Amino acid sequence: MNRSLTGATVQIDFQSPTLNDEEIDYLRSKLREDYDLIVRGVELGEDSASPPIAAAPTTHTISQTTDAVATRDGEPSRIVPCTIRSGQTEEFPQGSLIIYGDVNSGGEVRAGGDIVVLGTLRGNAYAGTNGRLSAVIIAMDFAPLQLQIGNCVNRSSTNQKPPGYPEIARIGPEDVIIIEKFVKF
Amino acid sequence: MGKVIVVTSGKGGVGKTTSTANLGTALALLGKSVVLVDADVGLRNLDIVMGLESRVVYTSMDVIEKQCELNKALVRDRRVDGLMLLAASQKNNKDDMQPEQMKAICDKLRTTYDFTLVDSPAGIERGFRNASAGADEAIVVTTPDVSAIRDADRIIGLLQNVEIEPINLVINRFSPQLVGNGSMMDQADVLDILNIDLIGVVPEDSGVITSTNRGIPLVYEDGSPGAQAYMRIARRLTGQRIPIPDLEQKGLFSSIVNWFTKNR
Repeated sequence: MNRSLTGATVQIDFQSPTLNDEEIDYLRSKLREDYDLIVRGVELGEDSASPPIAAAPTTHTISQTTDAVATRDGEPSRIVPCTIRSGQTEEFPQGSLIIYGDVNSGGEVRAGGDIVVLGTLRGNAYAGTNGRLSAVIIAMDFAPLQLQIGNCVNRSSTNQKPPGYPEIARIGPEDVIIIEKFVKF
Repeated sequence: MGKVIVVTSGKGGVGKTTSTANLGTALALLGKSVVLVDADVGLRNLDIVMGLESRVVYTSMDVIEKQCELNKALVRDRRVDGLMLLAASQKNNKDDMQPEQMKAICDKLRTTYDFTLVDSPAGIERGFRNASAGADEAIVVTTPDVSAIRDADRIIGLLQNVEIEPINLVINRFSPQLVGNGSMMDQADVLDILNIDLIGVVPEDSGVITSTNRGIPLVYEDGSPGAQAYMRIARRLTGQRIPIPDLEQKGLFSSIVNWFTKNR
């Protein structure tokens, strides 16, 4: 668990009200004890008038499969606060990688989960190294040499300039990696 | 206490030795005491570029093997005050030298000279490690092409690992014409990738070849654009604040387009 959220106030928003009061109380105390999160309120059903600020996504453009969402939430992430330069490799098989910088040509990032690059991705990125096909790669500027998700490989065909907006790579239909404009989850 | 600066690049042929020779001479012309150290054991070049090859008697290897004192191995450049050269051995190879031995030499030179410029060999192996062992700062030389930039990026990562700070960038063999017609990366592209401080841009200058062959560094001839660029970099190394002139020759139309895209 990433501890950077310690002490935060959270709002729990259920799409389908399947929990009773006892279960909610258990969830509340569990979050408090294990993760030091303070539960501000619990929203059940879809009757919420104004959506809470940090609410769970309702428009999920990636994968709608429930198991993917569950694994993503439960696993750790590693934050790398610098640029990955040529010849450097950052590997995190246990979960997702977040890079506060660029991944330069000749550099490599590998993660068991997702990869998020808050800069330009110019090197190689390999998400879902444990074979998870729902993993995604997001970068503010996308100019990678090679992408790999699970066992699907995508090689950049041209030396195009990045389009200037964030993009996301994921496995689309027919097991091909597709890259498209990243709007939000 | 002086500074020890390693001049390095990763890739060969981008102008490490030319830059070392010119920056060292320029610093000496500015009144600093300078020693140039050739760390390219087995493939020494700096003595030729400096025009001092006939006067090299002892090398850094002789100093390490205690054949002579460090001061005796330094060759004085008679054209300018306060400029010395410590040549590399031509008959040994890079594994004959230990990084600690190079560091000991740099530590001694630092106490006497304002600037010690170490000319690093290409590569990331022992030669590079020897050259950077005693350095306080680094100058990374690159040309504006993708392979040189990738190697520079690798070198910057290695320098950062051993906490050499600051690392300054020299873009060499920059051609405003090629940038203008879109077939060469511009300064902004290079800096965007390497993300370190730019200390100077040296334009492509055919005078470099003749000056190398004659053993007279370019900076002795004030007129050439390359010489002026090296003089400016030397001044910046001494702490003067001199803006980097915009060498990119853009037409009025593309300047306007650029201004709009940058200020979107």
